Amino acid sequence: MFKRLFPILLLLGLIVAAPLVLRRDTDVAESDQGDDRLVIITPHNDSIRTEFGEAFAAWWKGQTGRTVFIDWRAPGGGGDIKRVLDASFGAAKALGKEGTEFDVFFGGGDKDFIEQAAKDRLVPLEVFEKHPEWFGDDKLPAVFSGQEYYDKDKRWVGVCVSQFGIVYNRDAIGWLKVNPPRKWRDLCHPAYFGRVALADPTMSSSVNQAFEMMIQEQMQAVIRLKGDTPAAREEGWRNGMLVILGMGANARYFTDSSSKVPYDVALGDAAAGTCIDFYGRTTEDAVRHGRGESRVHWISPPGGTSVSVDPIAVFRGAPNGKVAQAFVTFCLSDQGQSLWNLKPGTPEGPRGRALRRLPVRKDLYTPERLANFTDPDALPFERAGEFVYQPDLTAPAFNALRIIIRAMCIDPQDELKAAWKWAVVDRGGPADVVFDLSEVGYSKVMNEWVPLTQKKDVLETARKTTELSRSFRDQYRRIAEGKGARP
Amino acid sequence: MKRWQAVFITAGVGLVFLVFFVYPAVSVLSEAFRGSDGAFTMAYVVEVFRNPVYVEGLVNALLLGGVSTLATLMLALPLALMTHRYDFMGRKLLSALILVPLVLPPFVGAIGLTHVLSVTGSLNGLLIDMGLMDPANRVDWLANGKFWGIVVMNALHLYPILYMNIVAALANMDPAMEQAAENLGASPARRLFRITLPLAMPGIFAGSSIVFIWAFTELGVPLVFNYTRVAPVQVFQGIRDLGQNPSPYALVAVVLLISATVFAVTKFFFGRNTSGAQPRPKGRDSEIRLTGVKSLGAAMVFAGVFLVASIPHAGVVVLALAGDWYDSVLPHVWTLDHFKEALGDPLVVPSIENSLIYASIATLVATVLGLAIAWVVVRGNIRGRGFLDAMVMLPLAVPGLVLAFGYLALSREGKPFHFLLTMAGGSPILLLIAAYAIRRLPYVVRAAVAGLQQSNPAMEEAARSLGAGPLRTLRRISLPLIGANVAAGSILAFAFSMLEVSDSLVLAQQAQDYPITKAIYTLLSTLGNGHELAAALGVWAMVFLGVAIVGATRLGGKKGGLFKM
Repeated sequence: MFKRLFPILLLLGLIVAAPLVLRRDTDVAESDQGDDRLVIITPHNDSIRTEFGEAFAAWWKGQTGRTVFIDWRAPGGGGDIKRVLDASFGAAKALGKEGTEFDVFFGGGDKDFIEQAAKDRLVPLEVFEKHPEWFGDDKLPAVFSGQEYYDKDKRWVGVCVSQFGIVYNRDAIGWLKVNPPRKWRDLCHPAYFGRVALADPTMSSSVNQAFEMMIQEQMQAVIRLKGDTPAAREEGWRNGMLVILGMGANARYFTDSSSKVPYDVALGDAAAGTCIDFYGRTTEDAVRHGRGESRVHWISPPGGTSVSVDPIAVFRGAPNGKVAQAFVTFCLSDQGQSLWNLKPGTPEGPRGRALRRLPVRKDLYTPERLANFTDPDALPFERAGEFVYQPDLTAPAFNALRIIIRAMCIDPQDELKAAWKWAVVDRGGPADVVFDLSEVGYSKVMNEWVPLTQKKDVLETARKTTELSRSFRDQYRRIAEGKGARP
Repeated sequence: MKRWQAVFITAGVGLVFLVFFVYPAVSVLSEAFRGSDGAFTMAYVVEVFRNPVYVEGLVNALLLGGVSTLATLMLALPLALMTHRYDFMGRKLLSALILVPLVLPPFVGAIGLTHVLSVTGSLNGLLIDMGLMDPANRVDWLANGKFWGIVVMNALHLYPILYMNIVAALANMDPAMEQAAENLGASPARRLFRITLPLAMPGIFAGSSIVFIWAFTELGVPLVFNYTRVAPVQVFQGIRDLGQNPSPYALVAVVLLISATVFAVTKFFFGRNTSGAQPRPKGRDSEIRLTGVKSLGAAMVFAGVFLVASIPHAGVVVLALAGDWYDSVLPHVWTLDHFKEALGDPLVVPSIENSLIYASIATLVATVLGLAIAWVVVRGNIRGRGFLDAMVMLPLAVPGLVLAFGYLALSREGKPFHFLLTMAGGSPILLLIAAYAIRRLPYVVRAAVAGLQQSNPAMEEAARSLGAGPLRTLRRISLPLIGANVAAGSILAFAFSMLEVSDSLVLAQQAQDYPITKAIYTLLSTLGNGHELAAALGVWAMVFLGVAIVGATRLGGKKGGLFKM
């Protein structure tokens, strides 16, 4: 028996030994060994968690002489974090407690922070009092390109900026015999049928915001030409919905995974897709051979995307409130800001790998610093001037938009593709003539869907969503059978 | 079994099951039955059936479940019969290797497969190199495959479950029955359909019911093929929807009801006890030794199935060793850097330690509970044991996220499961063990039920009449008789506990508590080469589990094969 057992145990021992031998050391204190502790809930990736953890631990030791253990909690994306926070604050409320085990909320869309602030779970940040010199129009502005960069009551503040854009594969574009995409609407070209990778707006507020920008781009274009009238808004909104419909019809999927889109584009399964700037740039570099041109390229559609922030906040009743406020201060300090984009190995830069995010403080984009940046040409504040987000046009419909995209493109995607193929891909029909979008017109959405989402009656919303989805599905079936959009 | 013993065991396992499965699942699913005024409502369930997309998703899931089970059976049954009837070259090794495809690490398994079937993947690369495909006109396998692609992938991934159960059932069968039929002039086909299959039916049913529920509720493979109109994907996407519409939970309730009904109905027809009509095994060997071309042919069938089923695994291995794998059959640049970086990550060593602890204890718990439940179901005579049998299959059908969210909400401070956290000093170890054990319970129950159905109760009765107590009877008679089945169930429970995703992602919140699947998920988010790093750790997990499974199958059993007890 032992004779038979020994080689297997030896083999298993060798397999287990491999990670033990290769294990790397870290400066962050082990659990329960730090003088201080900080619990951070975040959707940020492991690279950001590691670099910020190490840098803050060193900074905190320099400031106080104490070690800190950072307890990163990363349950997933924005929706998962919301669920964890709701469960934790719900339980705390039942016990009459003010806070939970969480100290800091780090990263995600500003909408996630607005929601937590509305639920009175966030406290004012001390950094505004301690470092007023970091704030101002030429430093960290309150508003830029129409987007809020920090809360009016100073309960959250943006720490880095990002843009949504288009990532595409030059080889695949060549196979499809189309020009590289420049604008969102380019992704509606029938040549892209089945070859566009889209992020899912129903699972991420940042993605939903990107779709909102697509509509704003179209609305602003019409309003510039015809003035801000109800008819112009209606026309611009319809143009925006047609862009979303066309992209949805060309889509091979709507995914909740932020890294799937650039990855599939790099493989060529998708010729193009929508993704956030740092994923696009990282993929572009990852598949570059030597100094040559990469097969993957990321662009920010001019006039079609705003520069939005990833905020940070401290929770009410945070068990380690003092360290939490210090972490926010660190993130907005010169060192913390530079960490987002300095090249690995540069002074105050990341140790392991470039984070490819862009600092929120404009005053740090100096020639000296840019020389050490991983993306010195990104310059988000200079390039975003063409687009100013106008909340009054679409902001009230933010939650309704997610539902409409689901009912129009995601749920009936098979039927939409069949209709698009029959009418647009095979017969070259103009989408604005083929498809009837009157059910999701601007005034209808504002007067019917917006009040419905504000009422928060989930059952009624579910029923209306099913009806809308069924209506689109029937329409697409009729089109695919050559019977036209209307019965 | 005395009645009070059956009642006692039923009450015990029933209580554990109620507390750790029904309670957390119901606490989440109850959202689907609560109106905005807090009163009970069936409106969301009605909404599921009003929504044609959900209805179509349910039908597609049922079709996928049924067709995948048939395809898996068509693959597993001949293999099991071959290894039962014939001795051929390399049989020991091949019949162990054939189980390895079961071990596909989460997340990266899909990426490995994508690299093979991508438009720039290995398959197209091979076809282009052979001049069978125009490079400018590539086949998009992932977009065009959909339903049948998923069926093939399910069959290639799940056949070891059925294979293990059928082999264990065939090993328990008395060869004298087949020999008698042969002596009476029955043709091989007649023997197969009239003797072998009916006697092996408990094992076939045990494996098939797991495969059906697995394929019916499978999430990962449909997501690789972007096949979204299928109930499990709709549930997954709906649960994560920011709108927090409870309809997906109503859909889960419907899926559970369908799973339990299909199980109960098929059990009525196929899951009957065969032991009553069967004498105990005499141990006579009816094995035929193949030689020459026949022996080689049999070995090639096994090797062929193993190789085809290992394609996704090969994809993961190559990806972990690749520089930039694009538009070629194999990468042009090979590197070990991903292994060095992934295995050197500070997360990895603790995650391996954690996974081994969580999975081992969970397997032990599942085995004890599973045996107890199987005992009640097969040997007990109390009413409602059929209901208990159907209920214990439901952890397979419940989406992992639902149970994980239930445990999460119930373990917050002031909630009933919080003591599990405080008892472990804040570590989620007890929560994870409970979650893993409950979710893996069906594998042990099905295997043990099949074993007990085939073993003759007269053996136990004889032991009891000679003065052996219940525990001694269990240890000396029953367990050795059904050892192969229990081992098969426990191996499956251990392997799938090591690879568990949802509970691991949601419940292991602090880095020092991460199991290996969460470490893989974390590496996946690394910028730049996250997929390759995750693949490297996935390869480590595959190799470890592969060696453990092959080792276990070669060690167990008197004849060097786990299922030849």
